[in-house]
Amino acid sequence: MRTLPHACRFPLLTRKSSFTRSPYVLNLLRIGLSRRYPEPRMFRRPERLREAYEVVIIGGGGHGLAAAYYLAKEHGVRNIAVLEKGYIGGGNTGRNTAIIRSNYLTPEGVRFYDESVRLWKDLSGELDLNLFYSTRGHFTLAHTDASLRTMRWRAEVNKHHNVRSEVVDAACVKKALPMLDIECGGHAPVLGALYHEPGAIARHDAVAWGYARSADRLGVEIHQETEVTGIETKGGRVTGVKTNRGNIATSRVLCAVAGFTPRILNMAGLRSPIYVHPLQAMVSEPIKRWLDPIVVSGSLHVYVSQTARGELVMGSTLDPYELHQTRSTLEFTENLSTHMLDLFPFLSEVKIVRQWAGLADMTPDFAPIMGTTPIEGFYLDAGWGTWGFKATPISGKTMSHTVATGANHPLIESFGWQRFGRFELTGEKGAAAVGH
Amino acid sequence: MMYRLPNVAGESIDRNRPLLFMFEGVAYQGFAGDTICAALAASGVMVMGRSFKYHRARGILSFANHDVNALFQIGGLPNVRGDVVELEAGMEITAVNTFGGVARDSASWMDKFARFLPVGFYYKAFHSKLLFPIWENLIRSFSGLGRIALDAPRIRTPKRYAFCDVLVVGGGISGLNAALAAAESGATVMLVDEGARLHSGFMLVGDTMRITLLLSQVSAHANIEVLTSTVAVGYYADHWIALMEQQRLTKVRARSVIFATGALEQPAVFRNNDLPGILLMSAALRLLRRHAVAVGRHVVISARTTDDYAAALEFLRHGVAVTHIVDARTQTADYELTRRLKERGVTFLTGRAVIEAHADSKGCLRRITVAKAGAINENVTSVDCDALLMSGGWTAATQLLLQAGGTVRFDTGAQMHLPEVLPPGIFVAGRVNGIFDVKARAIDGQRAGYSAAAYLGMEVKDGGTPSSHPGALARVKNLPTPIVAHARGKDFIDFDEDVQVRDLEHAVQEGFDSIELLKRYTTVGMGPSQGKHSNTNAARVLAGIRKVSADQVGLTTARPMYHPVPMKHLAGRGFTPERVTPLVARHDALGAVWMLASNWRRPEYYAVANETREQSIAAEVAAVHEGVGIIDVGTLGKLEIHGPDAGAFLDRVYSGRYSDLEVGKTRYALLLDEAGTIVDDGVIARMGEESYYFTTTTGGSVAVYRELLRWNALWGLRCSLLNVTGHSAAVNLAGPRSRDLLSALVPMDLGNDALPYLGYRETTLAGVPVRLLRVGFVGELGYEIHVPFSQALRVWDAIAEEGAAAGLRPFGVEAQRVLRLEKGHFIVGQDTDGLTNPFEARADWAVRMTKPFFIGQRSLRILQRRGPRQLLVGFEIPQAVPSLKESHLAIDAGEIAGRITSIAYSSVLGKTIGLAMVKPALAPVGTKLSFRQNDGSMVTASVCETPFYDKGGERQKSVIASFSATVKVAASATQKAGGSADEAAALSFAMHGTAGAGASLEDRRQRKRIGIKGPLAAAWLEQRGITIPDRANSWTAITSSENDVVMRLGESEFFFEQSVYAEEFKTLASGLTPPVPGVYPVLREDRAFALSGSLADDVLAQVCNVNFRPLILSERHAIMTMMVGVAVTVVPQGNVSHRRYLIWCDPSFGDYLRSSLAAVIDGLRTS
Amino acid sequence: MKQLLCPLNGLRPVSEFVYGGEVRVMPDPEACTDEQWSSYVFNRSGVPGIRREWWCHIASGFWFVVDRDTATDIVIATHTADVLRQASPA
Repeated sequence: MRTLPHACRFPLLTRKSSFTRSPYVLNLLRIGLSRRYPEPRMFRRPERLREAYEVVIIGGGGHGLAAAYYLAKEHGVRNIAVLEKGYIGGGNTGRNTAIIRSNYLTPEGVRFYDESVRLWKDLSGELDLNLFYSTRGHFTLAHTDASLRTMRWRAEVNKHHNVRSEVVDAACVKKALPMLDIECGGHAPVLGALYHEPGAIARHDAVAWGYARSADRLGVEIHQETEVTGIETKGGRVTGVKTNRGNIATSRVLCAVAGFTPRILNMAGLRSPIYVHPLQAMVSEPIKRWLDPIVVSGSLHVYVSQTARGELVMGSTLDPYELHQTRSTLEFTENLSTHMLDLFPFLSEVKIVRQWAGLADMTPDFAPIMGTTPIEGFYLDAGWGTWGFKATPISGKTMSHTVATGANHPLIESFGWQRFGRFELTGEKGAAAVGH
Repeated sequence: MMYRLPNVAGESIDRNRPLLFMFEGVAYQGFAGDTICAALAASGVMVMGRSFKYHRARGILSFANHDVNALFQIGGLPNVRGDVVELEAGMEITAVNTFGGVARDSASWMDKFARFLPVGFYYKAFHSKLLFPIWENLIRSFSGLGRIALDAPRIRTPKRYAFCDVLVVGGGISGLNAALAAAESGATVMLVDEGARLHSGFMLVGDTMRITLLLSQVSAHANIEVLTSTVAVGYYADHWIALMEQQRLTKVRARSVIFATGALEQPAVFRNNDLPGILLMSAALRLLRRHAVAVGRHVVISARTTDDYAAALEFLRHGVAVTHIVDARTQTADYELTRRLKERGVTFLTGRAVIEAHADSKGCLRRITVAKAGAINENVTSVDCDALLMSGGWTAATQLLLQAGGTVRFDTGAQMHLPEVLPPGIFVAGRVNGIFDVKARAIDGQRAGYSAAAYLGMEVKDGGTPSSHPGALARVKNLPTPIVAHARGKDFIDFDEDVQVRDLEHAVQEGFDSIELLKRYTTVGMGPSQGKHSNTNAARVLAGIRKVSADQVGLTTARPMYHPVPMKHLAGRGFTPERVTPLVARHDALGAVWMLASNWRRPEYYAVANETREQSIAAEVAAVHEGVGIIDVGTLGKLEIHGPDAGAFLDRVYSGRYSDLEVGKTRYALLLDEAGTIVDDGVIARMGEESYYFTTTTGGSVAVYRELLRWNALWGLRCSLLNVTGHSAAVNLAGPRSRDLLSALVPMDLGNDALPYLGYRETTLAGVPVRLLRVGFVGELGYEIHVPFSQALRVWDAIAEEGAAAGLRPFGVEAQRVLRLEKGHFIVGQDTDGLTNPFEARADWAVRMTKPFFIGQRSLRILQRRGPRQLLVGFEIPQAVPSLKESHLAIDAGEIAGRITSIAYSSVLGKTIGLAMVKPALAPVGTKLSFRQNDGSMVTASVCETPFYDKGGERQKSVIASFSATVKVAASATQKAGGSADEAAALSFAMHGTAGAGASLEDRRQRKRIGIKGPLAAAWLEQRGITIPDRANSWTAITSSENDVVMRLGESEFFFEQSVYAEEFKTLASGLTPPVPGVYPVLREDRAFALSGSLADDVLAQVCNVNFRPLILSERHAIMTMMVGVAVTVVPQGNVSHRRYLIWCDPSFGDYLRSSLAAVIDGLRTS
Repeated sequence: MKQLLCPLNGLRPVSEFVYGGEVRVMPDPEACTDEQWSSYVFNRSGVPGIRREWWCHIASGFWFVVDRDTATDIVIATHTADVLRQASPA
């Protein structure tokens, strides 16, 4: 174990400079000084669906919108319809706890998510929208020697791919998080942690809006309140999509509907390993800043970060049984609060204002299912389990490539549909205990 | 400015008890019964907080627990709601989130720059990579409300389960009537209200006599439990409701629920509608009636109903100067009231609306501008005033109904969303139902009460008219809440988040034109009050912009919490189950250093004076190699299976074959999942023709047992499974001298012929029946000794005593890891991962592919053809390399080629040895592996054969004479722990006074038990003339005493308990040797308690989610359930007045359950 | 909290139970193709609707069968495992 890694000292706490030097202030002046509010629509509401599109993307979440954007921007495909049954970003994009990291266990996982982090860092600029992408550092606490072992494994694989992860000892954890009860209420003392310097959070809704706006500007049509009711195929290839607003002819369909994947696959007559469990989260009242890094405890099923608004956003494990409903449970808040107080006893009086749930696509090996499917022209971006948000930019990139070329992008090779039939599951399973 | 009035009839303050307190460094005085805001108001303090975004001066708005602009910091306590939290003497209070104090908050410049901080401004600036961190720092220093003290203590609160027929939420007129009607019909009722007393949310209620009567009837009624100062914060599946009381969380399971949640008054919208001095009418009335606080010296009322006129009169009666009434209606409704008000000199501005308020230098209300309603430029006049009471209209509090899956529709008459479809068992009454008239609310409440009773199949009294809808009752008619957008803004929709009308307009202009998107972009409704005063107005504004109906706009999803809940309430006492073996006290005495293994504590090693951790571990290893060591392996899963198909069953679930295992022999067992992945392993011993005893890993025992039960339930083979993991302790006595030591203790020959390697025998040790498994996990001659939980200490002590001379040394998990590594044994989950199959783990030898079937076999065929993706190999390095650790990677041609799964320096071999999972290409013996260490340097190792030690296994088979090296006697090893757990337990203890008063917990572990299980058990017992319960999950007494019971657990298991080891027990036990087909003895070493006393039910209510109260004792229930996370069996006994509960649990959870129950009893005593 | 009607222990909160997943019928390992087998091992009927599921009452170790609508969480019926008794694969 090494001593305190550099970023344990949280550079963002110490920088000094005058923010008014930012050119972006001009933007606010422009808005403030104009007589009429000058801002245009970020994304249009097309009156009607056209009869045909070159590509139809099912799902107006981050993944679908990102794929639309990159298809239009990098592959010159502009004749795209994004179909969203509710409002954009209303699914898991707006329900997750917005944690971004790349400290995975398998080389394919690390490469994929590391590329994603690279894209994340420039995304605010690329989309010209402040996504509040905030690098905080990410601690995964170890309470047993077994999890410490898995963490070293992850750290070694990460380092091999130049991803900054380190196993740090309890003393370092205590130094970086002096307020943490290292004894964990006596139940499960913290033995050490996996520290992942690039760990970050972002304003999840804005990600969907940013991609939507940029895609819209490139001519992509975003159809909200448009529910897909059927997938039409002929001779093993996709020919069209049925919706509650009429039918569309198309030869290429991308399905990016985390939580609803089995329903869409069923329309296409496909069976998959994906099963759906709810994943819940909760948020506290805003309190003054006290927590900078993201803190995760696999054994205690806790992950927490503090937003720029001052709220604590907290998550835990999957609900214990299959359900296609985003109802809340009291047990969730009880268990999560118990473990939160084991780690941070001083939060006893901090109040929870809201809880919510999303629907997670689970796969047998805790890795996504991406790319081509047995149906020609029907592409899948699914099985994201509990960590789809952090993959938003890279899944957009790789899926747009896959849809444009008809061949899986190299980065998603090992996430292919056929791997289960061949008993070639990915190895993320080993790291499942310490997720998010 | 607000001030205190002379005595107001019915005020809830005690003027004889003045309380001094500090606010923002200034001393003030209030009275007992004041809330913080009331005391401040009475002292003339108007500015109580600053707004979230613009830091505008804010004061009281709702005075109903929703005033998030009057949040206070009291010591380490953040975000205290001053409008409801009672004042205490000496409180030192400051406003949250101010810079330089609430009076002159330096951050109020934000207000001036508002135009440059438009909606979502933070999305549009400062996103250059370089500057964002600075920008974020700035934002984070401004945001957030209260501060938390990082040294504040963990607060543990009780949590309670409750049960009732009908839960009534809301103690207003309708709620009271509902509760009474349901109770009269025979239902048990819980009635909860937010207020400190029932009927607290009161509005004008004419007939106070009737109310008083009603209140007395309700509080007198035996069927009604009243909870005040209690907020129903969430509705969850199957009528499971979370009630936040002041000091605890109550989780109530109702059979039917009535929401009489009332309505929330909404603020009118106009420029500067947020100034201190502008309040809701209901807030002003509460201030007057409860706290005798006058809202101002020049009061203007923005009225919309007759009630407001009556209110005006009430203010005047108390000498509060109401100067003007602004009413949008052109002619006022009630001539008489109007006349009386005019007499008192009130000026009427009819057909007018407030369009703007003006602030004085302190930011408080000074003047309002009034204009023709709907035409802000006509008849503009202004009125000086220091208080403006907004009667803005109401919105029904439907949040809980919506959480419950009910639906609402916007009622244009009532101008609010009203209930439409009610889920089964859910009813609504009163204002939440759109019924505002006092008498009508009473009738509606009754109707709901009777309906709930009828829904539960109860006989409803005459006059009761069950129906889920108000029927004839008139729903209230309302004018829309006045929303007067102003060109210069500051016309606030959301007071939590400083959202103005223009913000909504701009957001829609930018495309955020659905209610959900609007919320997320503008944050309207996302503040601590969760939109209670903004959602309705926001929806109305959106509907206006989009020119659609409020119904088309809809509402955002209603979710718990209805009201913020502290985490201490949700966490409660925070019980965390922990298991220990019976030897825990001995390990402590020997200096055990503990580690966590699933929910067990295990000795990692035993610390010895003047030895480092490494030295101690090495010495423990040496002791096993050269002399004899002992390790507690009681955490291993221990299962039994009996029956004609027992062998066949094991053949199907495990990869090996066991139907052909000789009686008295053991065999390694590997468990796979259906994908062919290794999930567990252990040892299977054949005890008899039809019975096996087998072990699982420590971590796997629960899941493995459960999965085997599932397969058995599916296949229905003729066999029964028993889990004796906790009931049986076990130690492994290992080392060349283990035989000599054990021989001195057991009455049997331990020679290789009598008990060969991998043999199994049953004998006695120190008079205790034990099971001996001669195993080889640690590579030396060794015996696993399995013994009943209660006898473990006796056996351990006997061995320790006898072993002292032989230098017996206890060893921990770390030493065991080294020893097994020397033998090349892998550990499931450490050397294998979530994808490893037996071929990859080199365990082909443990797999019988020729068997007709076993779990995972079909997948293995596919995997066999596919070939391995990785292989587990042994490697060695000639010297010690402490810096090389598990999980370090093998690198081949710059790529990851595998990883170390186990590594250790073996003193006996004088080299570093390990296991690694590597690419098949690197697997051949002799291959050089290069591992990369933390610092990046490489270490070379060579693949070698395993086992590393005693390749032929001569030592564990002990075919060669055990050389008896002299080993240092670890002094500690012979020490005996003082005060054995037995003695401690022998004295049963009472927690609280004498049994009967309070609650007492008797530890009954000393009693005698025996279990019988099997398809023919019932018949066998009956045939022997033993009375047994005829129903599953019930009990009967086996003597005249209720202390001596036999329980029938499920259909085929029987559990006898008696104070003495009675004759019946002896005959039962002897009756099963030789074995009887279909009847099997079960080792029952349960920890048992008897909980009694008047508070026994209250104790259970905190630890168990089963409602014991209604159980009929004569039915003699035996209930298998969970208690603070532990599986228990509970038998309620005694009589109605004196109940006692017998409780049994797995002995390894005994100490945890006892201390948990003790904590609850202590808590009850002190409360 | 959801409640489940256990055939042995009666109506209990769902926290007393462990979910055993969808009841899946094992194809004859001898007769089936690799595709059929891997489909049995990995694929799931993830579409919301009425499913037959395994549930176990923890305290009594009692496995039983629940017909539940995974879209609404409404339990249609519960049975003892006898309803599943299939000829053993061996």
